[in-house]
Amino acid sequence: MIPDDLRYTAEHEWVAATAGGPVRVGITHYAQDALGDIVYVQLPDAGAAVTAGEPIGEVESTKSVSEIYGPVTGKVVARNDKLADTPEVINTDPYGEGWLVEIEPSDPAALDGLLDAAAYRELTES
Amino acid sequence: MTMELRRSPLHDRHAALGAKFAPFGGWEMPLEYAGGGVLREHSAVREAVGVFDVSHLGKARVTGPGAADFVNSCLTNDLGRIGPGKAQYTLCCDDATGGVIDDVIAYLHGDDHVFLIPNAANTAEVVRRLRAAAPPSVEVVNEHEDYAVLAVQGPRSAELVGSLGLPTEHDYMGFATAGDLTVCRTGYTGEHGYELVVPAGRAVAVWDELFAAGEPLGLRACGLGARDTLRTEMGYALHGQDLSVEITPVQARLGWAVGWNKPAFWGRDALVAEKAEGPRRTLRGLEALDRGIARPHMTVYAGEQAVGEVTSGTFSPTKKVAVALALVDTAAGLEDGATVEVDVRGRRAAMRLVKPPFVKPQVK
Repeated sequence: MIPDDLRYTAEHEWVAATAGGPVRVGITHYAQDALGDIVYVQLPDAGAAVTAGEPIGEVESTKSVSEIYGPVTGKVVARNDKLADTPEVINTDPYGEGWLVEIEPSDPAALDGLLDAAAYRELTES
Repeated sequence: MTMELRRSPLHDRHAALGAKFAPFGGWEMPLEYAGGGVLREHSAVREAVGVFDVSHLGKARVTGPGAADFVNSCLTNDLGRIGPGKAQYTLCCDDATGGVIDDVIAYLHGDDHVFLIPNAANTAEVVRRLRAAAPPSVEVVNEHEDYAVLAVQGPRSAELVGSLGLPTEHDYMGFATAGDLTVCRTGYTGEHGYELVVPAGRAVAVWDELFAAGEPLGLRACGLGARDTLRTEMGYALHGQDLSVEITPVQARLGWAVGWNKPAFWGRDALVAEKAEGPRRTLRGLEALDRGIARPHMTVYAGEQAVGEVTSGTFSPTKKVAVALALVDTAAGLEDGATVEVDVRGRRAAMRLVKPPFVKPQVK
């Protein structure tokens, strides 16, 4: 449930790096499981500037609400608008169809500061 | 201070089903189950059948000559409205203020025997108050951990309970005994359903029988998460949120559960006066016009004026919209249908005042 090819934040976002392009961001399996059935998602518009560690949106379940934090500083270039009508795909496919936004990092090296799968596994299993 | 959470006799069954547990009223109870989740468990109850372990609910027995008259002189509702074999929703109010100490189901066995189901967190206090007031002939016993309670709820609940050889034909709010089980036509979901009061030592056997018979009926184990969405859709009050010692039955619009013509019940003077004067606030339903879910303690606004506070709020899986209950100031003069706003973490979410229930009850 923690893919090896992704990077992670301590706030339970995952980040998929591509060669030099924007990064794709979602919440982890662990996060969706803790939240329970997700019913609303609020995401930034394309073009919005985001800052690493600052809230960029919210995911809300029947039970509780959780903020989504920017994993890197940069500009939102795409968001997953399908989630407005089918937020449950975050529960069923958090690393695939349940992605949230794509961000063009202002510093491509910023990903190096994120957790790797082993470090995230340690965080969630401790 | 740390308090050891109490556990249901079915705890191991829940763990085996992959339950996530949460503390509730001093008990560690299932919130939802692996492979289920609030939405699936909610749907099972609306469309088929679900079983909730609600063994955390209190149990207290009042017995002795004049037991029913004694209970009737304390709790708000009028036991004279029902006969033996029937249950009644009633309130234990503070005698001085009329604030609600707890809401309780009273099962009338006879003139000398009433069984009470208070909320988990309030059982000791309800028992304490009753004991302090009881005449020498009447005994009040806290039987909290002597029984498990299994709520079997949903349109296929009669089939399931009947398949165990238990009686199912009694009317809503009626109860029947079958050996050492009591089968009550009660619940907290708005569906046709039963609450089985089972001696703690038999809880696992009855749970296993239900699951052995329930699979073809679409049975799911359901947790407190779905219990909350189901009861909120009905507008049923939850003590600790929509009811408290700060909130009276008049404010919560539970006047139907008060025997106004009785000569005595706790809180009578305060409540009669408040009813005559008109309450300063009342519990109202809110249905969202925007996205976002109103949660307890969020402020309700009419324009720039704060007019109330949300007491319960969740997403209605049936209506696919957020619903809430809120105490709204009478002075604001807001009619049902009026639009208000709730401050949802700094954003204003538009909601419409509506009269609960949000979803049509199917209890009968």
